[in-house]
Amino acid sequence: MPDFIKLSALLGQINEAILTSFDGEVFWVAARIMNVKKYTGNRRCYLTLEESDNGNKQAEIKAVFWANAYQEIEKFEKITGQVFRDGIEIICRVKVRFHPVYGLNLDIVQIDVAHTVGTLELEKQQTLDRLLKENQATIQLFDGIYRTYNNRLPLPSVIENIALITAPNSDGQRDFQQEIRKNRHQYTFTIHEFLTTIQGENAHQLITEQLRLIEESELPFDVVAIVRGGGAQSDFKPFDNYELSKRIAGFRIPVFTGIGHDRNQSIADLMAREQKTPTKVAALFVDHNFEFENNLMELKTRFLNLVKDQIQTAADKLTNAKRIVKLSSPQAILNRGFAIITINGKIITNPADITAHTDLQTLLRDEIIYSTVSKKVKDEKKIIL
Amino acid sequence: MKKKLSYSQAFAELELLVEQLEDGGIQLEDLALKIRQANGLIEICEDKLRKINKDANEAVKPETVKDKK
Repeated sequence: MPDFIKLSALLGQINEAILTSFDGEVFWVAARIMNVKKYTGNRRCYLTLEESDNGNKQAEIKAVFWANAYQEIEKFEKITGQVFRDGIEIICRVKVRFHPVYGLNLDIVQIDVAHTVGTLELEKQQTLDRLLKENQATIQLFDGIYRTYNNRLPLPSVIENIALITAPNSDGQRDFQQEIRKNRHQYTFTIHEFLTTIQGENAHQLITEQLRLIEESELPFDVVAIVRGGGAQSDFKPFDNYELSKRIAGFRIPVFTGIGHDRNQSIADLMAREQKTPTKVAALFVDHNFEFENNLMELKTRFLNLVKDQIQTAADKLTNAKRIVKLSSPQAILNRGFAIITINGKIITNPADITAHTDLQTLLRDEIIYSTVSKKVKDEKKIIL
Repeated sequence: MKKKLSYSQAFAELELLVEQLEDGGIQLEDLALKIRQANGLIEICEDKLRKINKDANEAVKPETVKDKK
C-alpha cells in the first residue's frame, strides 16, 4: 500500500499555499458574469466569472457576493439602469478564498460601476450613431436634440384614444390608469391595453410586436404610451435596442415613454416624447386636453367680446342717425321757432314765388297765420343768420 | 320690401338719408316723406340689433351640461 495522506490534509496544504500567496490580497479583475443566482432573502449572490477569447473560454471560476457586499449589486442596478444578469462584462474587486468542501472561490467585494456605465454609454452612442446613419429620413440630430418623424408629429387637439403598452398587473399600469381615472377635470379617455413583458432579454421584440398590433389595429389611436414602473430592479436595456428605437422613430402615431428611470435617458426616450414616469405621461394627456378647453374658452370669449363691440358700435351709430333724423323733421323745425310758408298748401322754398299782395299761410308750431304780403324787401343785413 | 333688408343694407340707406339731411340736400316738401323713410329704416335696424344682441347674450351663457372629452 503506497503512502497516502488524507484528502483533508492535502486540501489543507493547498489552502496553506493559497493563503501564503493571497491572504489579505485583493485584485481588480475584468470578467463576464454568468450563472447569476441572486438570493435577496439572505442577500447573497452566486455566479461564475468567465473570460473568453473569440468564443473560446479562457478562464472560469465560481464567485460569490456575501451579504456585506450585496449592496454592490443594488448600487450597480440603480446606477446603470440594468439588471445584474448573465452576460454582462464587469470589473470587480475580489479576494481569493479556498474551502476544503466548496473549493476555490472568488469573493467579490466591489464592482467598478463607472466602468460598466462607460461601456453602456459607449454601446448606446454606437446605437445612436447607427440610427442616425441608417435612418436619415426619420431621425436627425439638431443641437444635441434628436428630432424624429415620431416626436415631431403634431398631437391632435384633443387626446381621446390611448394605446397603452405596459406589463400586466404592474405598477406602471396601475399608476397610469389611476392618474387618468382620477383626473380633476373628469375628462374621459378610451384606453386600449397592449400587455406584454417589458423587461428581460426579448422585451424589445415583444414591445415592437405590440407596436405592430397597434399599427394594424383599426382603432383610431391618438397616442401610444409605453409605461413601466421604476425601482432599482428596472432594466433599461430593452429601451436602448436599435430595432425598437428605429420602430418608434418612424411610428405614425405619437409615442410617449414613461419608463421610470430618473438617472438615464434611453434611446427609446430620445426617439419618442419622454415623460419619465407613467403618472407623468397620463398627467400630460390630461393637461393637453385642458389646454385645448382653455384655448376654446378664450377664443369664445374673444369672439363674443368682438361681437359685443361691433353691436355697440352699430348701436352708437344708429343712435346718432336717429338724433339727426329727429332734429330734421318738420315738426322739430317748427318746435325750434322756425316757420314754414305755404301758398295754397304748397311749401314755398323760393322767396321769388312771393310778391306784394300774395295771400300766404305761415305754419307755426301750433297755429297757422293767414296773411297778405304788404311789402317785400331783400334782407341785406342778414338779420337772423 | 323693408323686411327683406339686411342690417347693413338698411343702415347704408339710413346713412345716405342722414347725409342728405345734414347737407341740406332734401327739399322741404320732401322732408316729411324722407323722415318717414328714415324712421322705418331705424326701426328695422333696431329690431335686428336687438335680435343680434339677444343671440350674443345667449351664446355667453355657461353650458348646463359640460361635454367633456
